Amino acid sequence: MSGIKDLKKIFGNGNTSSLRQLGILVSLVIIILLFNGLTDGLTISPTNLINVVQQNSYILILAIGMVMVIIAGHIDLSVGSIAAFTGIIVAKLMNDFHVPWGLAIVAGLVLGLIIGAWQGFWVAYVGIPAFIVTLAGMMLFRGLNQFVGNADSVPVPDGYQALLSGYLPEVGPDTGYNNLTLLLGIIAIAAVIWREVRARRTAVRTGAELAPIWVAILRLVLLIAIIAFATFMFAGGRVGTSFPNSGIILVLLVLIYSFVTRRTIVGRHIYAVGGNKRAAELSGVKAKRINFLVMMNMSMLASLAGMLYIARAGASGPQDGINWELDAIAAVFIGGAAVAGGIGTVPGSIIGGLVMAFLNNGLQLLGVGSDKVLMIKGLVLLAAVAIDVINKNSGRFSVIGALTARRNKSGDELGIPVNKS
Amino acid sequence: MFRKTALATVAIAAAAALTLAGCSSRDAGTPGSSSSGDAAGFAKDSLIGVALPSKTSENWVLAGDLFTNGLKDAGFKSDVQYAGASTTVQDQQAQIQSMVTKGAKVIIIGAADGSQLGPQVKAAKDAGVTVIAYDRLILNTEDVDYYVAYDNFKVGELQGEALLDGMKAKKADGPYNVELFSGSSDDANSKVFFDGAMSVLQPKIDDGTLKVVSGQTDIKQTATAGWKAENAQNRMDSLLAANYASNELDGVLSPNDTLARAIIASAKAAGKPIPVVTGQDSEVESVKSIMAGEQYSTINKDTRNLVKQAIEMTKELQEGKKVTTNNDKDYDNGKKIVPAYLLPPVIVTKANAAEAYANDPTLAPLTK
Repeated sequence: MSGIKDLKKIFGNGNTSSLRQLGILVSLVIIILLFNGLTDGLTISPTNLINVVQQNSYILILAIGMVMVIIAGHIDLSVGSIAAFTGIIVAKLMNDFHVPWGLAIVAGLVLGLIIGAWQGFWVAYVGIPAFIVTLAGMMLFRGLNQFVGNADSVPVPDGYQALLSGYLPEVGPDTGYNNLTLLLGIIAIAAVIWREVRARRTAVRTGAELAPIWVAILRLVLLIAIIAFATFMFAGGRVGTSFPNSGIILVLLVLIYSFVTRRTIVGRHIYAVGGNKRAAELSGVKAKRINFLVMMNMSMLASLAGMLYIARAGASGPQDGINWELDAIAAVFIGGAAVAGGIGTVPGSIIGGLVMAFLNNGLQLLGVGSDKVLMIKGLVLLAAVAIDVINKNSGRFSVIGALTARRNKSGDELGIPVNKS
Repeated sequence: MFRKTALATVAIAAAAALTLAGCSSRDAGTPGSSSSGDAAGFAKDSLIGVALPSKTSENWVLAGDLFTNGLKDAGFKSDVQYAGASTTVQDQQAQIQSMVTKGAKVIIIGAADGSQLGPQVKAAKDAGVTVIAYDRLILNTEDVDYYVAYDNFKVGELQGEALLDGMKAKKADGPYNVELFSGSSDDANSKVFFDGAMSVLQPKIDDGTLKVVSGQTDIKQTATAGWKAENAQNRMDSLLAANYASNELDGVLSPNDTLARAIIASAKAAGKPIPVVTGQDSEVESVKSIMAGEQYSTINKDTRNLVKQAIEMTKELQEGKKVTTNNDKDYDNGKKIVPAYLLPPVIVTKANAAEAYANDPTLAPLTK
């Protein structure tokens, strides 16, 4: 039994929330392998993996902000409109007013913060439900997008495109791979090892319960194998391609926001406010400030997403951002967040977004029509959340728990005393 | 005393209301007799309503401006309305009704969804208003009087022919590898464009001159939800990844310019040579792209001519003349054959761009 318990620790500290994420991770792996089989290995090919990252990085960035909004007990319906509004402003700044693109990006982020402050003010300090405020924002900023853009497509300069939707340069000796991507992979592996070593040292120092060394090694080997495989995939695409810049931005944001939500006071306060606002306030959490920050942060990330998208499309257009909020919200809920707030993680939402992304991609590779793709995505969303809810109602969810349930029963039959409370 | 006054007030108010109601119903009256081609015509400064879909394409924005100015120049009062982007159908229904209330004599409708305006068009008709469907036919109603548009089947045919010509110019002999894109499946025109193009391309696919490597030739597979560029770009990414690792892609049928540019962006990002890509709408960015030798063709459906023709019809109605149409047999909206005036679309490539856009103040400088 203890072996199974230890095995669970491969995927984090073995608590329920990380196991729920494990369930989604397993579905993601199944979906990828399934489509890889159906498409004769196309799904896991360098070109396609790079495509998936390019096509979804902006939605996944929205999901990072959205999960924090949802943890805090709110929702944001305005992100697509904000992305579109920022997109047209940034494109116009560069195209019509010849603002250097570096400055235009800064302006876009500042615009996101201002919009976010506007929405955060109404939500946090006036106390209007975020659903209403952002519903209003959805109309307001879509209208502003049309007002400013007049339905024109506004192109963006090449330097801007290269930065936000391009690739790492080819440098150094000809290894047959993109060297900088290889370097990123090596850094990632080093970081994983360092984290494991540090975690064990801390555990020893504080006298915490330590997972057996074989678990740690197995976990490391698994992680390193995955990272190495991904590295060779992304580095082995067509010459001139690498792990996409938009993907690097995404990974950086995932690391930063995972750290913020898990390890910082502000991050924990978000969970506290979403879990029980009154209790949080009574224990000294400044709920208003947290709500304000969460809404402001979301709008800033929405602006960033809008800027990434216009780089990918090469121009800002009138239909940018339509329905993005729905994609982001779907990702968050597939990723295990609770509608009532207080529960959810950044990595979970990214995995949830990737489930949708690979589903979309796989069906597209198979040439399934867009009507059927929508039907399948709708059912998957419903199924993912339904499984979660049903499991919560009937006790805690655990894939491994389900697998080992039989062992427990057989133990009972064998007459081994089992605590029946 | 008080009670008497109150009663009197109510009585007067009721009488007034009745009179007003009576007036308005008399104004709207003679239902049934107000068939198209009112011999009598109507006053020269009458109100003309124009209901357009959302401001999501350059053409609709331009059309709105042209209608406002053109109707004013012709001496009419105008009421030009756009629908909101996410509520187009509801907005249009409400706008058409308020135009009827305001006493418009003619309502020109660029329908967001041609099948969802039946009751509003009927209300307009009952009030004696003449309804002109602009660019998109209004379906399943007997109450639409005229249709003015570019010939969309012809657009598809021209796109198909341009695709073949463009590929031939690059590579004298086939077989050619092509991929097909079509518009949003909730827009009736998508199918007309696609059918037009396939009327040219299908025989070539059958005789082996063209090869659709992905095998995706069904309109459900080729559809681009919402006409959104990102959907076309994503599909093109997948098509290239799945089918053109070693094959050369020679041409792509694209139903419009926005999608054409998305397809080209995808080919560029994949490091592939840009295939021959068709388009439609003469959008500024696509005309630039054609002049730069990237997009192969677009279609010029000059909005100016279409608006001019719609205003021309309005003038004929005002003068009580017979409205000029040139196709009274093909446009069956499900309830009746709508008399139509069809304008011929023009295919534009780099070769004839200067000539095609000579009269267009925005596009002409780009072709120099």
